[in-house]
Amino acid sequence: MLAKALLEDCITAALSTGGDFAEVFVEDRFSNTLALVGGKVDSSVSGREYGIGIRIVQGTNCVYAYTNDGSRESLLRVAKAAAEALPGVSGTRCLNLLKGALPQVNLIHALPHTIDKQRKVALMTRAYQIAKEYDPIISQVSVRYFDEDQHVQIANSSGLLVEDRRVRTRTSITAIASKGAEKQSGTYAPGAHMGFEFYDKIDIDTYAREAARIASTMIHADYAPSGRMPVIIDNEFGGVIFHEACGHSLEATSVAKKTSVFADKIGEKIASEAVSAVDDGTIPNAWGSLNVDDEGHPTRRNLLIENGILRGYLVDMLNGRRMQAKATGNSRRQSYKFAPTSRMTNTFILPGPYSKDEIIANTEYGLFARYMGGGSVNPATGEFNFAVNEAYMVRNGKVMEPVRGASLIGKGSEILMRIDMVANNLACGQGMCGSLSGSVPTDVGQPTLRVSEITVGGRKGDK
Amino acid sequence: MDVQSFAQALFTRGRTMGFRDMEVYASSRNQFRVGVFKTEIDSYTLAESRGLMFRGLINGKMGYSFTENFADEGLETLLKDALENAAIMDGDAGEEIFAGAAPDNYTHIDAFSESLPEVPAGEKIAWVKAVEGQAYALDNRVFTAQVSVGDTFGETLIMNSHGLKLSHRDNFAAGYISAVVKEGADTKQSYAFVAARDFTRFDAAKLAKEAVEEALSLLGAEPVPSGSYPVVLRKDVALTFLSTFASSFSADAAQKGMSLLKGKVNERIMSEIVTIIDDPHLAERPNASPFDAEGFPTRKKAVVEGGVLTTLLHNQKTAKKEGVMSTGNAHKAAYNAPVGVAHSNFYIVPGQNCYQALLTQMGDGLIITSIQGTHAGANPVSGDFSLSAYGYLVKGGQVVRPVNQITIAGNFFTMLCDVRAVGDDLDFGVGAIGAPSLFIGSLAVAGT
Repeated sequence: MLAKALLEDCITAALSTGGDFAEVFVEDRFSNTLALVGGKVDSSVSGREYGIGIRIVQGTNCVYAYTNDGSRESLLRVAKAAAEALPGVSGTRCLNLLKGALPQVNLIHALPHTIDKQRKVALMTRAYQIAKEYDPIISQVSVRYFDEDQHVQIANSSGLLVEDRRVRTRTSITAIASKGAEKQSGTYAPGAHMGFEFYDKIDIDTYAREAARIASTMIHADYAPSGRMPVIIDNEFGGVIFHEACGHSLEATSVAKKTSVFADKIGEKIASEAVSAVDDGTIPNAWGSLNVDDEGHPTRRNLLIENGILRGYLVDMLNGRRMQAKATGNSRRQSYKFAPTSRMTNTFILPGPYSKDEIIANTEYGLFARYMGGGSVNPATGEFNFAVNEAYMVRNGKVMEPVRGASLIGKGSEILMRIDMVANNLACGQGMCGSLSGSVPTDVGQPTLRVSEITVGGRKGDK
Repeated sequence: MDVQSFAQALFTRGRTMGFRDMEVYASSRNQFRVGVFKTEIDSYTLAESRGLMFRGLINGKMGYSFTENFADEGLETLLKDALENAAIMDGDAGEEIFAGAAPDNYTHIDAFSESLPEVPAGEKIAWVKAVEGQAYALDNRVFTAQVSVGDTFGETLIMNSHGLKLSHRDNFAAGYISAVVKEGADTKQSYAFVAARDFTRFDAAKLAKEAVEEALSLLGAEPVPSGSYPVVLRKDVALTFLSTFASSFSADAAQKGMSLLKGKVNERIMSEIVTIIDDPHLAERPNASPFDAEGFPTRKKAVVEGGVLTTLLHNQKTAKKEGVMSTGNAHKAAYNAPVGVAHSNFYIVPGQNCYQALLTQMGDGLIITSIQGTHAGANPVSGDFSLSAYGYLVKGGQVVRPVNQITIAGNFFTMLCDVRAVGDDLDFGVGAIGAPSLFIGSLAVAGT
């Protein structure tokens, strides 16, 4: 991390032209990535990423520069080069950075570097064996283990100076089932803002079995039908529907420039009354949690939708200026190589009154999407798509045969209005979310819910 | 410390720690990008980054570590990490440090333009503003246009303890526009890109027109009824498909049981009118290089010829397992990734049919001009896909109306067996993968 005097000099150099705000982001990140394929360690890579990002803002315009060279000479050169991109001359200013006390909501007990790599391999090997032995139809299992220890230091011309340490770990298990020339895969990838103690808190066997179960179920499944129908989306990673269909369109990156379908809609009904949703970066040790965001501000629990009414957006400092809105502790970036912007943390739909069984029992015909894959959205048109990794047909209130290869498409604004039943079994799943400021860890979540009609893209035309 | 001195220091110290063969793979990249929104420069990025990966062979096992901090004190940590990583590897991995090839095995590739770095920032800013201005001027339904332009200069260096020392540098510029058009409550968006090493080839008017006209042409789009349709995959969509399933051609994926092409060499896997080439010597394309990620000399080859799989892509390790020569396709996803296998510049060879001829042959069907969500809705292991798409409805070889809110579903390999005609319009977009438009006999479409 940089000395306070050097940070102050950098900020002063950055403001040597017409900038009205400057920020220095220092990152030192240690990571380990291990891959186990077919029961053998296929790769193990450790390393250190290190760099400094300097951001200068003038009104709503932004200059961003970064370098790996943390020497005084280099940093002042980069800060000045960045400043030269802005017109104007500097006023007199006096900067005295004051190091702030940080809320520590994500306590870490077993730092990754203190854990012998053999223990990490043992964990992966166990996951491999459980998945491989689940069913003879499982032909291959690959396990990826990842941990990181990210140190950040953030200083800005408003006098803010904070340091944070984010420790995360995640294990991804992919099982492949083969039958003749066909292959189907199942993946489960639990993670947390935690050290190695995470694996004491979860049972890796459960996840390994789930990955194998999905693959072995899907290899026997016929193709999903096509067309519009009711869809029941299960809890946990099913929350990707809200993440894609709504969450991205509530980020200030698209709201501020009014390219989002939900721009200027605060106080208006954008979803059915069954829907309330939040973004909460403060959940202790959750995958998408942070003590402070990448602008140095404490994360918050932000109410987004209350009984269908739009209550708030996810706002960063720069877009906050465009929107005349306060930042919400959602400014994030993949690394020093990205200027921060508004992003989701842990985003989920709140529980409703029904049980999952009631929802299924009340559905005559439709698709039950038990485990979702990823998806994407175009915030300008609101059109989203996502993949269903494990799905079943529902007939006469019962979950029937599995079907494969389904995707769901629609428009966020329409789908939110069609959520007609929400269960009481809220759970979250982990994902990596890619957008303007790179790929960041986010939790998605929801209780089991039903959408009265979505277009299901399958390969079979019958009903 | 500079990279070469750091590498030498690593080799010297590494030897005393028991590493037999060692390699340093270093990359550096400088980037510039400027974006304009409503005539203001709203983003401006200056970047310089470098990173170094070490790998060393000890007791027959390869250990990897990387850093972006080239200070002296980082050296010991780097070696210690590599040692620990080697210790947990299984012994029979078969990975080696390349001893090197004769200099004339390496094809000279000129991927660096001396004139590009001389283009002043002001000229690029003027170009971005011109694109934005033209976009708004084209039609009053243009709601927003976001435009940016950038250039990048990168260098790769491989040094190893056998004395091999290779380097390659490249630069290019790329421009981008995203145009949003609105008519009543109907919003549509389209993009256009340009990439070249010669900035004088950046045509502001053409780029603005391409994005705006396409977005306008999509206004009023409606789904079509579910069913099976003949389709023309426009060149950019054909390219996205090839890119999504390109990992199937990796021998590494095949050996790990993660590719349907395992054991299929010399078998017919596609329509006989499909030929796919891997060409690392196309100097204009991003993955051009005389050597691969292991320092092995690269070469051009057909991967699929007349529908027959002629070879999988190999690095040294996968080649050794099958008793063949490396195809020069060792690849790192980033400087700090382990050595894997991937294509270089990879494309479907164009045919004789102009775009309209494909539509005429199809008669009634769909043109697909965009697919979304390939990271989730397409499975490279199974070849299956079900993807959100849009495009146009075609009747009698003529475009009738725009189509959206549909999915297309099928299997990549089955689809490529059903290629009825190949277009003459090979295009790489801004990347390393290229394709012409393809006329496909039938795909499952979900709509109304």
